[in-house]
Amino acid sequence: MLALWTWIVQALFIFLIVDSVGGGLLKPCGHIVPESPVVAPNTTFTAICVLDEECLSEHHLNANQILWKIKDTYVPKEQYTILNKTAASVTLEDVSSLGSPLTCNILLYGQLEQNIYGIQIRVGWAPEKPKNLSCIVNGQSNMKCQWDPGKETHLDTTYVLKSEWPTRQLTDCIPPPNVNNSCTVDMVVVYVNMDVWVVATNVLGNVSSDRINFDPIDIVQLLPPYNVTVSSSKAISSILKVSWTNPVDKPFEGLKYNIRYRTKDASDWTLIPPEDTASTRDSFTVQYLKPFTEYVFSIRCMNREGRGFWSNWSAESSGVTYEAKPSNAPSFWYSIDPSQGHGYRLLHLKWKTLPRSEANGRILHYEVILRGGKTSNFSKSINDTKLILNITNDPYVVSLKAHNIVGSSDPSTLTIPGRDFKAAHPITNLKAFPKDNELWVQWTPPNEPVNKYILEWCVFSDNLPCTPDWQQEGSATKLTYLRGNLMESKCYLITVIPVYDDGPGSPRSVKAYLKQAPPSRGPFVRTKKVGKNEAVLVWEHLPVDDQNGFIRNYTIFYRTSSGNETAVHVNSSHTEYTLSPLTSDTLYMVRMAAYTDEGGKDGPEFTFTTPKFAQGEIEAIVVPVCLAFLLTTLLGVLLCFNKLDLIKKHIWPNVPDPSKSHIAQWSPHTPTRHNLHPKDQMYPEGNFTDTDVSVVEIEANEKKPLPEDLKSLDLFKKEKITTEGHSSGIGGSSCMSSSRPSISSNDESESGQNTSSTVQYSTVVHSGYRHQLPSVQVFSRSESTQPLLDSEERPEDLQIVENGGSGDGASPRQQYFKQNCNQDEISPDLSHFERSKQVSSANEEDFVRLKQQQMSDQRSQSSGSGPMKDFEDVSAADNFGSSTEGQIQRFETIGLEAATEEGMPKSYLPQTVRQGGYVPQ
Amino acid sequence: MKVLAAGVMPLLLVLHWKHGAGSPLPITPDDPKCEMRHQCQGNLTFQIRNQLNQLNNSAPELFTYYYKAQGDPFQTNLDKLCNPNVTDFPPFHANGTDKEKLVELYRIIAYLNASLGNITRDQRALNPGALPLLSQLNITTAVMRGLLNNLTCRLCKKYHVAHVSVSYGPDTSTKDTFQKKKLGCHLLGKYKQVISLVAQAF
Repeated sequence: MLALWTWIVQALFIFLIVDSVGGGLLKPCGHIVPESPVVAPNTTFTAICVLDEECLSEHHLNANQILWKIKDTYVPKEQYTILNKTAASVTLEDVSSLGSPLTCNILLYGQLEQNIYGIQIRVGWAPEKPKNLSCIVNGQSNMKCQWDPGKETHLDTTYVLKSEWPTRQLTDCIPPPNVNNSCTVDMVVVYVNMDVWVVATNVLGNVSSDRINFDPIDIVQLLPPYNVTVSSSKAISSILKVSWTNPVDKPFEGLKYNIRYRTKDASDWTLIPPEDTASTRDSFTVQYLKPFTEYVFSIRCMNREGRGFWSNWSAESSGVTYEAKPSNAPSFWYSIDPSQGHGYRLLHLKWKTLPRSEANGRILHYEVILRGGKTSNFSKSINDTKLILNITNDPYVVSLKAHNIVGSSDPSTLTIPGRDFKAAHPITNLKAFPKDNELWVQWTPPNEPVNKYILEWCVFSDNLPCTPDWQQEGSATKLTYLRGNLMESKCYLITVIPVYDDGPGSPRSVKAYLKQAPPSRGPFVRTKKVGKNEAVLVWEHLPVDDQNGFIRNYTIFYRTSSGNETAVHVNSSHTEYTLSPLTSDTLYMVRMAAYTDEGGKDGPEFTFTTPKFAQGEIEAIVVPVCLAFLLTTLLGVLLCFNKLDLIKKHIWPNVPDPSKSHIAQWSPHTPTRHNLHPKDQMYPEGNFTDTDVSVVEIEANEKKPLPEDLKSLDLFKKEKITTEGHSSGIGGSSCMSSSRPSISSNDESESGQNTSSTVQYSTVVHSGYRHQLPSVQVFSRSESTQPLLDSEERPEDLQIVENGGSGDGASPRQQYFKQNCNQDEISPDLSHFERSKQVSSANEEDFVRLKQQQMSDQRSQSSGSGPMKDFEDVSAADNFGSSTEGQIQRFETIGLEAATEEGMPKSYLPQTVRQGGYVPQ
Repeated sequence: MKVLAAGVMPLLLVLHWKHGAGSPLPITPDDPKCEMRHQCQGNLTFQIRNQLNQLNNSAPELFTYYYKAQGDPFQTNLDKLCNPNVTDFPPFHANGTDKEKLVELYRIIAYLNASLGNITRDQRALNPGALPLLSQLNITTAVMRGLLNNLTCRLCKKYHVAHVSVSYGPDTSTKDTFQKKKLGCHLLGKYKQVISLVAQAF
């Protein structure tokens, strides 16, 4: 018992705690009126927050402390209204734009915001008045009404279809869930006028549609007739009887019907005249139908007086009329294989199966009758549509009949002409064109009467043989289409043959496409010839199988690697085109496209490079140049021949025959000037005096001719010496004369002395040459010790070479000497001494030096700048260059004068001069 | 009684009924009870005629559905069990005036409507699987309600008759099953017979 009391006390304590805590914690300090408002958009909404009295006293609150918030945004206090100490209201202009929730808050102790209450505001519209209410009765009792509910309310809105008779209200129709625009009444009574309307209701109000009043019988759509069957009659092949069952529980006394029918393959219906089916019935016989043709029927019904609506069409039902004999003869044609020998031919007869509309039944067999030739009538029954007969070359007549269960067709007759028959009278103006996805053929008939036309066609291909299909047309036909399985993008060869009483006429053919397409590939273009500024392109026509249409034109696209593409249109009949102008030495890329009416296709790209020069251009340059060179060479050679002596004189100067030489008489008394005219001319100043010159006369030793090998050696030596720049003797170089140390180069020790003290001058005077007998041939030696004047140092005055190494006779090398001289002049005197030493000591190096010299000369000639500069420097220094040049000119003058005077070219034989006088060579 | 009330309640014009009473009560044309829920529209004569035709066309079928649904012995003893022997059936005089015929028709339809209500109730309990019968009973009852509506409109609109005394058949709720079936079959037989005459009269 104590335990029980203890348990009760504990339970009561817990209950009190929970009640006090729960109630105290969860009890709000106020509430908002209204609790769950539904507000229409663009309307003013006012909410009132009412504070609880206990809270007011406990927390010392006042309605002034109320704050209104929408979500987290404070409502401006201008919209507040303090109603009294415990209540404050807020007025919102457009809640739909502000959102939800709306909360009432209060500031505790002036700063702590406490939420008192919150409400969710639903925004929506009152229902609009339903419009366009209409009803229809399906069958007998089902009535479906529809209406337009208007705009979405965004609130729970109910729609109720109400109806009543004048004497009572009928049961409301409530649409199924999520349907607000229609309702179906399960049972409706016809022949009673009723009012129908819709009432839409939501929390913002309700609204009714306009009432409509009608007798449901006027809006009945009956169920269609059913169990429709079609039966044929054996007696009459052109009728079918249609039977049906009228809809159950029809509300009407009388019905009327629409019966429509069509052939099975047709799409258009034929309607039986309505006046024939305006009364209640359950069958109807349709007449004037085609034999052995399947027809499809469909029926609908409605109130005979026109109340309500037509029912839907019934399910389709079909039936086939009974057979009749074929209405047309089969299309009939033939071909002849003349390969049979011995007066026979192979006749291939062929015919088409009759279309269903003409066969009027199932064709059981064909009957072929052949007449003519040497045989009697030949008749054969066959199920196939072809027959091969071996006939003679005589003309024949063949007829064909098609048989079905009812009878046979009219015969189709062909005349097979004899072997010698010549066809004639063709059709004209044959054209073929695609239209409406068919390939049409049109022609102009011949003037002669035609029995029929045969159209044959086949795919025109490069690879496939022509396997013709054919069709027959009547004699009045001028335009027809090919009734075959034609393919697109294929070229068809169409032949039209008129058929006359005596046989076929001449055929005429035309090519056509059912539908063209771009070519399968483009032409392969290549170059036939490439020139500097043009290229000849060639290609081949596309095979028919690749054309896919009539090639209307070609387009050639060509471009350089960096340039824009250029297009050239070319007629489809061409297979060659010349591209021009092109840029020389340029890589071109060219491709070609072939176009049909439906588009084009590019061929592969082909590249070629134009040459830098046109054909023959190089020849045109090279040949004239070569000719000019050759001509120049010839002229040079001719000139050389003409001037052989002159050239020879320069290249191979005449060497005096030593065998005819003699030692000249040394005669100191012989005046030296008299026999040396040139020298006189060269030195007109005439600084020399007889008294100053000693003449030594030397007799040539004729008995010591110089051996040939020795001559050559001597010449070689002289040449080397000349190369070294040493010269002396006859025709001595002015260079030598200008080089003072060279005079005594053979004796260095003496040269130093002579240079510093006295120099003996001498003059060599020819004592005789080639039978010329100079009056006096002496070497004159000057006894004077006076220093030489510049004018006296001229080579003409320094022809005495004391050293045998310094040969004379360098006239053929005048030019060389001149250059060499210049170099010598550039060089200081010391170089002359060194050269002299080299000549005298190491002849082996002469070749090398010669070559070096020549190379140096060549460089001098080619460039000329260096030596010329040096030359100018030197001449500027001692005014020597001009005199050197003048000396060269004078040498030439001497030569010419000598030749003129002596009647033969004057030559100089290189001589070896020893110390103390000339040594005969 | 509850069932009876349910069958009678749809009637708009219910006056006191006395078994065997056939004469109509005095008609008060200006009776405010002629005020309808909305104005009567349509060709009432045409509608009444067609409704009678509907009932006449469907009555044999309904009768057939009924006795077939009851099984033996009704199918084998149709003449005895389903003869149109209903003693309290309201009379109809086809040679009367249009107004009289309308009033008599109103009584007949009211009588039939109440009886069909009882039959429908009984058959739902006795033959819940006889759907064609139940369907036909519902259709016939609905058509009769429509006919009563049109008759009321016609009497009020043309003859200003607001009150017509009607009588009802016996309450079958207390009868046994056989009696229920038998009374129903008698009534439907009578209905088939009478409706044909009435339809021809209009």
